[in-house]
Amino acid sequence: MHFVVCIKQVPDTAEVKIDPETNTLVRAGVESIANPYDITALEEAVRLKEKYGGKVTAVSMGPPQAESVLRQALSLGADDVVLLCDRAFAGADTLATSYTLSRAIVTLGKGNPVDLVLCGKQAIDGDTAQTGPGIATRLGLTQLTYVVDVEWVDPEKKRVQVRRKVEGGFEIINGPLPALLSVELELAKPRRASLPMLIDSVRTPVKVWDANAIEASPQLVGIKGSPTWVKAIASPQIHRAGPRWDAALGLSAAVSQALDALFSDKDFEAKFQKKWE
Amino acid sequence: MAKNTLGIEVAEIISDKCIACQICIGECPVGAIELSADGVAVIDPEVCVGCGKCFDSCPVEAVKFQKKKRIKPAEQERGVPGAGQPDYLGVAVYIETADGRGAPVSWELAGKARDLAAQLGTKVMGLLLGSNVGPVADEAIEYGCDEVHVIDDPLLSHYLPETYGKALSDLCAKLRPAIVLVGATSLGRDLAGVVATRLETGLTADCTGLYIEKETGLLLMTRPTFGGNIMATIFCQHHRPQMSSVRPRVFRMLEKDLGRKGVVTRHKMMAPAVELPEIVKFIPADDTAGTDIVSYPALVVAGRGACDPSSLPLLEELARLVGGVVACSRPVVQAGLMPYERQVGQTGKTVAPRLYIGVGVSGAVQHLVAIQGAEKIVAINSDANAPIFRVADAGIVGDYQEIVPELIAQIRKKKSNGKQ
Repeated sequence: MHFVVCIKQVPDTAEVKIDPETNTLVRAGVESIANPYDITALEEAVRLKEKYGGKVTAVSMGPPQAESVLRQALSLGADDVVLLCDRAFAGADTLATSYTLSRAIVTLGKGNPVDLVLCGKQAIDGDTAQTGPGIATRLGLTQLTYVVDVEWVDPEKKRVQVRRKVEGGFEIINGPLPALLSVELELAKPRRASLPMLIDSVRTPVKVWDANAIEASPQLVGIKGSPTWVKAIASPQIHRAGPRWDAALGLSAAVSQALDALFSDKDFEAKFQKKWE
Repeated sequence: MAKNTLGIEVAEIISDKCIACQICIGECPVGAIELSADGVAVIDPEVCVGCGKCFDSCPVEAVKFQKKKRIKPAEQERGVPGAGQPDYLGVAVYIETADGRGAPVSWELAGKARDLAAQLGTKVMGLLLGSNVGPVADEAIEYGCDEVHVIDDPLLSHYLPETYGKALSDLCAKLRPAIVLVGATSLGRDLAGVVATRLETGLTADCTGLYIEKETGLLLMTRPTFGGNIMATIFCQHHRPQMSSVRPRVFRMLEKDLGRKGVVTRHKMMAPAVELPEIVKFIPADDTAGTDIVSYPALVVAGRGACDPSSLPLLEELARLVGGVVACSRPVVQAGLMPYERQVGQTGKTVAPRLYIGVGVSGAVQHLVAIQGAEKIVAINSDANAPIFRVADAGIVGDYQEIVPELIAQIRKKKSNGKQ
């Protein structure tokens, strides 16, 4: 079987902030990492390969330095890695990204048809969860999102059965291959790279493909293929800023004044007294 | 202004403004721009031809370029209201159903759609898919739709991206709405991605603000990005419909208007020509494992500053007293003190209780964006500079282990006074 895993390099988002004084990004010390959801997808692909046989290919779209996440993928069990790197890919939104990745998957499938595409539910920098459904829709793959367990794969009958997280519970669903799985973090705990794998990962070449290599239409990739544009960025504005009291200057007074401020809204107090009915 | 060795006035990136969106890299005709190892764009002055395209395209004014003060092309084009897409009209809302009833987020969006439609002088369309969902159509009108377009078909008895995606895309292609809003539930996010791809249009996920730009009539969508630390405003100029998904409890639903009139139109289902997956069974979530914090009118939220198992009974007592339940911020989940289901925040749940009491919550932006729908916010924190105080209606600075018992005592007194 041929498993393809899509991996995005993301900034470690907890560290990116805006300086409220200057309205500029504070990026000191922000590192780039592989999106954790994608690493979970890779782990599952490697486990499936170990069980059913086949090959795992990891693919990433990004600038040259995104090579590092592919090296990491090699150290974690990917057999082959491809970096989609072209100036024309820059500035892509989710529509252009899913197009570019789907072209790459078609190209990877030549001579070795792809059975399962795995990707993270979402990337931690954008949180959109749109790229997976976009790829599945473009390629006509069975779309199985929010996967928490792959119950079985039947390589003969070409079917896969998974458990997905849905509103209010879980759904067990099976469908025909080829399929795309977008995965939750609880699906699999990523392994740690062994020393021999780490050494191998440095020696294995990373293939680099541009728009021509995946026969992508120039109008559909990068900024040109992106319907949505960023107009502006800002620190989140959440106004309210009510008064505050210091308990060190009198505990009882601070609490009672705070409650008075809260209940100065009489409608609110009435609702509170009626236990919100 | 910097000149290169050829005497050309070149553009420069102001690196602390750059958001690494890479748009300039795609726009540069000579390939002079690269993303540096620090994750910011850098222009090679010897390659730059001084055309100013990077300056024109940068969304955050991170390019220094002084050839002339240019008008950005985006603004030039946007001078004409509704340029290019005059035949796309109306604000559409996807009406999600669960167990034969409309999902609350759909009614919240119907209310928001009324507001947007009023600004555009147009109508609100409800798009309803399912099997035996007739009564929901009437409800959609009561919550603000002028028209409801229904596909009612046994094929739609359970959600599958293949059937729902095709049905909703077909409706959009036929009705040509200018805007389509979808609730960002797990179903809605799955569906919106399919529909936007089929329609080849832009989709902005998890919007927290929707506005109409006066001069152009374009939909401006704000959403948290970089894990919620930064708000981005997104627009979709050349593609229609303009699609966005919105999380539950971001907007408030309108009061139901039982006298409202509207038109319900039924459309035929065109079955997709693919083999459909088969749902084997549905397993309801274990109730003991998952307390649904969003359904409580009051929340007592423990933060990093109150991340101590011994104070949990105290917080639970306060929560019971105010008619709510204990929730928490991310550090408390990471410390293993509470399950993920209780987490409020960008990666947890967006909440809109009547009363929010933050205990030891410092107020990371990811947390604050998820509580902005709360009616009243009370903050208790030992750090007077904690950001949570900027969003609170009332704040108390000090040790929560002293403040919370006092608060409990005083609320008890108020409650017994209220009964007299």
